Amino acid sequence: MVKVAERLRDTKIKINSLDFDAHWYRRAFHAFGASFLIYYILPDVDWINILKFWIPLFIVVLVIILELLRLTGKISSDHFFGLRMYEKNRVGSYIFFAIAILILLRFFPQQIAIPCILCATLGDPIIGEIRKRFSMNYVYLFGFLVCIFFFMIAWFRSDALLFGLASIAGGFGAIIGETKKFWWLDDDFMIQMIPAFLLLIIWISIPYLGLGYPGEIIYPGTIPW
Amino acid sequence: MNKSEMKYMKKEFYFSKVIRAEIFFTPFLIAIPLIVGLFFILDWYTRGFLEGNTAFYGELILGIIIIVGNITFDIPFVKSLRVLSKKK
Repeated sequence: MVKVAERLRDTKIKINSLDFDAHWYRRAFHAFGASFLIYYILPDVDWINILKFWIPLFIVVLVIILELLRLTGKISSDHFFGLRMYEKNRVGSYIFFAIAILILLRFFPQQIAIPCILCATLGDPIIGEIRKRFSMNYVYLFGFLVCIFFFMIAWFRSDALLFGLASIAGGFGAIIGETKKFWWLDDDFMIQMIPAFLLLIIWISIPYLGLGYPGEIIYPGTIPW
Repeated sequence: MNKSEMKYMKKEFYFSKVIRAEIFFTPFLIAIPLIVGLFFILDWYTRGFLEGNTAFYGELILGIIIIVGNITFDIPFVKSLRVLSKKK
């Protein structure tokens, strides 16, 4: 029995002695956010719709509470891996990231929400790596191309005019959101919300332009039982 | 923001903890996006490909993007873990 306890203790020490590169941890965390797109494939059934309403809200409220506890010093920042220095006394980026995803999932049509979420989850780390390796001109160019690609996927079944308009507006909004940094408002929020509002304007204008709304990209699944 | 503000906060190692939060989250961080991506591809296959419905191509593309995007960042992440633990 003593040996088992000793082994467990040794294993725990070994596991906790592992070290991560905070930079790549943060990148992987960003990319993980794309998993939230599963929201749209969940079946359209009453009890699942209730879960779809409450679970994202619960996660966001939980992380806000944790962040408040961190900022007030009740929980040590050591528990929050990968924070940058500027986040020491400011709300962490992940809060902005989560709130923006929640707003998009809840209040925007999926044709707008999906590419905006992809811009933050995959576009942002790609742009970050380009910024690290090349000059800002490359950031604007390749960042724009990467983001425009996500909007093209989401609007590929719309009219040609709408397809072009939405892709350019979305890509432009995302790159503006990513490159303009403020201390009080994080780019993880801006990269999602600026293109979302630009596309919302286009979305509202669709009937006035005499065009049809683009089809959905993800269809709710069915329960096999 | 200047360069010093962009640096990551240093933290102490707590060997006494049950398991550090970031280590606990790592398997989920890697596995969940891959499962979600595969789920999209499976849905395209069953409802789109087998039934000849082209409306599900979006799910196929999204599934591929999620998987490829995550693997792209997971590989250097896992590699960085190995290198740093070797140093220790």
